Amino acid sequence: MDWDDAAIARELDRLAPQEDDIADVFAERLTEISIPWRDGSPGDPRIRREAGTAARRRARGAERLAFVSGAGEDAARAAVRTLLGEKPARTGRPVAGGTPETGAAEASRWVRRLPALLARHAPRHRLRLRILHAERHVVAARRPPADFARRLVSVEGIVVAASRLGDEDRLFSFHAPDAGQVADELRTALVEAAAPRARPVPAVPGAIDVLLARGCAAVLFHEILAHTLEADAERSPLSDAGDAPLTVTDLDVRDDPRRLDLFGGYERDDEGTAPRAVKLIQSGRLGSRLADRSTGGRSGSTGHGRRAAASEPPQPRSANIVVTAGSASSEELVRRLGNGLWVDEIHAGSVEPSSGLFRLAFQRARRVSRGRLAEEIGAGYLYGEMRAALRGIEPVLGREVHACRTLGWCARDGRVLPVQGEAPDVLVRGLSLRPSR
Amino acid sequence: MTFEGLRRALERRAPGRWELYRKTSHSRERDTCRGNSRIAERSEEGWAARWWEGNTEEPAAALRFAAASSAEMLAAAIEDAARLPAGGDPVPDLPARGRKSPAPEAPAPIEDPPDLGPALSAAISAASAGTSSLATLAIRVGVAHERIANANGLDVSQTLTAADGVASAIATNTRETGKGKSSSAAAARAAFRFDPARPDVERLARRLADASLLPLSGRAAPFRTGQWLLEPAVAAAVLAAVAPAFCGGRGPSWLSRETAASPGVRIVDDAGAEAAWDGEGVATRRMLLVESGEVVARLYDLRSGKAAGRPSTGHGARPSFREPPRCEPRKIFFEGSSPAAAETLLSSVRRGLVARALTAPVRVDLRADRYEAEFTGVSVIGGREQGPVAGARASGRISELLRRIEGIGSDLQFFPMPFLAGSGTLLVERAAFD
Repeated sequence: MDWDDAAIARELDRLAPQEDDIADVFAERLTEISIPWRDGSPGDPRIRREAGTAARRRARGAERLAFVSGAGEDAARAAVRTLLGEKPARTGRPVAGGTPETGAAEASRWVRRLPALLARHAPRHRLRLRILHAERHVVAARRPPADFARRLVSVEGIVVAASRLGDEDRLFSFHAPDAGQVADELRTALVEAAAPRARPVPAVPGAIDVLLARGCAAVLFHEILAHTLEADAERSPLSDAGDAPLTVTDLDVRDDPRRLDLFGGYERDDEGTAPRAVKLIQSGRLGSRLADRSTGGRSGSTGHGRRAAASEPPQPRSANIVVTAGSASSEELVRRLGNGLWVDEIHAGSVEPSSGLFRLAFQRARRVSRGRLAEEIGAGYLYGEMRAALRGIEPVLGREVHACRTLGWCARDGRVLPVQGEAPDVLVRGLSLRPSR
Repeated sequence: MTFEGLRRALERRAPGRWELYRKTSHSRERDTCRGNSRIAERSEEGWAARWWEGNTEEPAAALRFAAASSAEMLAAAIEDAARLPAGGDPVPDLPARGRKSPAPEAPAPIEDPPDLGPALSAAISAASAGTSSLATLAIRVGVAHERIANANGLDVSQTLTAADGVASAIATNTRETGKGKSSSAAAARAAFRFDPARPDVERLARRLADASLLPLSGRAAPFRTGQWLLEPAVAAAVLAAVAPAFCGGRGPSWLSRETAASPGVRIVDDAGAEAAWDGEGVATRRMLLVESGEVVARLYDLRSGKAAGRPSTGHGARPSFREPPRCEPRKIFFEGSSPAAAETLLSSVRRGLVARALTAPVRVDLRADRYEAEFTGVSVIGGREQGPVAGARASGRISELLRRIEGIGSDLQFFPMPFLAGSGTLLVERAAFD
């Protein structure tokens, strides 16, 4: 963004006279393109182009935020002046901002490629392609300015697949940064989603051992570790864990925003801080918290200050869960499971930090009987308590790590952010299973 | 670029087939969370356009939608959108110039929202005997001006006001066990609207205290079947989950039976007190959807109305300028033909459960006629509360749930879900629990 950063920074210095005070201006320009596809034909496309600027002042536990539409320098000055009490934020025309680069041009590659992919691998579908391009700029008092941009692609909806009893609607979701081999990954995901499968039998409620395969253990750790270690999270059963061993020593779980190949990655957080990987579980013991500038204390921000939109304040939030691989093959882990459930896709998860209870929803799974994959199981929920689940993790982890591309958007307090993770196969004993009706 | 300039640009692109929307909003929010406080002041402008491009002789055309935060950005977004592939969509009958809407009032200055924190905190503590405490509270007051114009000469404006919030509470229970002290905790969250002049803190506090405290009892539901008394917040959530069945041309087959609901049940949608127009510029009106147990009307926006061969009922909801209007209830509620006091309904429960708060979102499968509601509450025998129930699940057929409604309370309340849904206490016969 074409601002006089030094001039804005001088104004911010007036807002943050003390060393511990925070004053910054955040601006975002984004273009979002969304096109529904039904059996190869496009529906009504939507395009959204937004620009917004927020100024923030934080001192002694009290914070004030002023947001105005627009992302030009005049918008930044208007937001700062509102905080200084010199002029109220406008209700009329928004202050002008620059125009983001053409979104349709960015989308054209996907618009050409997706129909061919779908026609070949999943010809019957009701999917929505969504391409999001965001440019962000941060100027803060006593800190260098930062610019960063991300382009994300999501394909979500229903793939109609053949099963032995006829057509079957299957939930499909795929989220990735728009770079590298993402089209190849999408093709693989579509092929798997549309593959014929046997008729599922209903899940039987009760306690069960579960092998979380193909990266979906990342969803479990996102819920029970990342959310509870966000620095502003409410107390949880992990709050008093101290240095006590919580799980197997083989388990290392990090939150690493620097992984730009994952959906939640970024080079700078929304306060302009360069992120670092934070160990959530190291050698079986609880690691550190995910912090932004206001919650970082003496050790400072870990680079997890994230905003759901320019109009929202930054919060310490998780980005990418990364679980270190073990040494076991998938077959070995299935044998080790003995009897239980093999789950390779979790489409939703939630946690209540105060009670420690979590819930993971799946559409399909496979029963494992005597160390072999058996019949298909229909939709259900896995649930449990976070400390018990960590204790239930087996010390042998899978040797292949998979990105969990179904994990894409995380909502907390109504604020939605891109997240993702990767994990090896993880065997968890003693979860509970409930079929969904 | 101005509103008039965009009108001209749209008319050139899609003669007689466009709609233009502008919203300016100003809000203040007070957010309190574990000793930290934040005041956020937001001034936002949003623009949106929807147009049907193609041969004007054809009944269907390529529908596109663009939204932006300024007129200039919207003009650019319209150009971009025109290059995206689009399918054919029947062109709806756009509402014509109707009664003239009053000019929007000059925005009144908005003050910081009231600090309800101390009063709510004290009320939650009192309602839970000190076991539950306020964790977070966000309160927002705001005003928005909307202007909607279309190719058929419509140009209406309106001013909307909002005062709403979200609060959460945490209950902690510490007890002595053989191995020392053990503690458990549960959290609850509630979205609410309030009257800035007379905020009902006590009612909100009771809701949060119950929802956080009852799950700690650890007691399962003592009955597998029985009567089910749904407090207003729970009943409204069930209605909100079922409400899509009343939208658009075709409802699920179970809803088209003569007795879709109990004879004493009336379901109404009436947002007249909230806004004069819907998001497409169609005048708001009261819609009686279910009367004497029978479905007598359905809700339409312009597109679903066109598909069904019906006029819009004023239910083109536009919760944000970022999304095109969609057919949705705007203020739906249960209305009893002879509402009873909530206490009377409680005293008529012979054996059953009272649902005080949901512990998970209500899940429905409208096509398969199934619902599932997880809740916390109390058990009741002979009209008297017996004890807490930490968690129970009611499930079954939606059609049976509606037909088994035996009473509707006079304590009608509305909740943001996110459209407004309302209910008094609801008494349902023969529910199944697990």
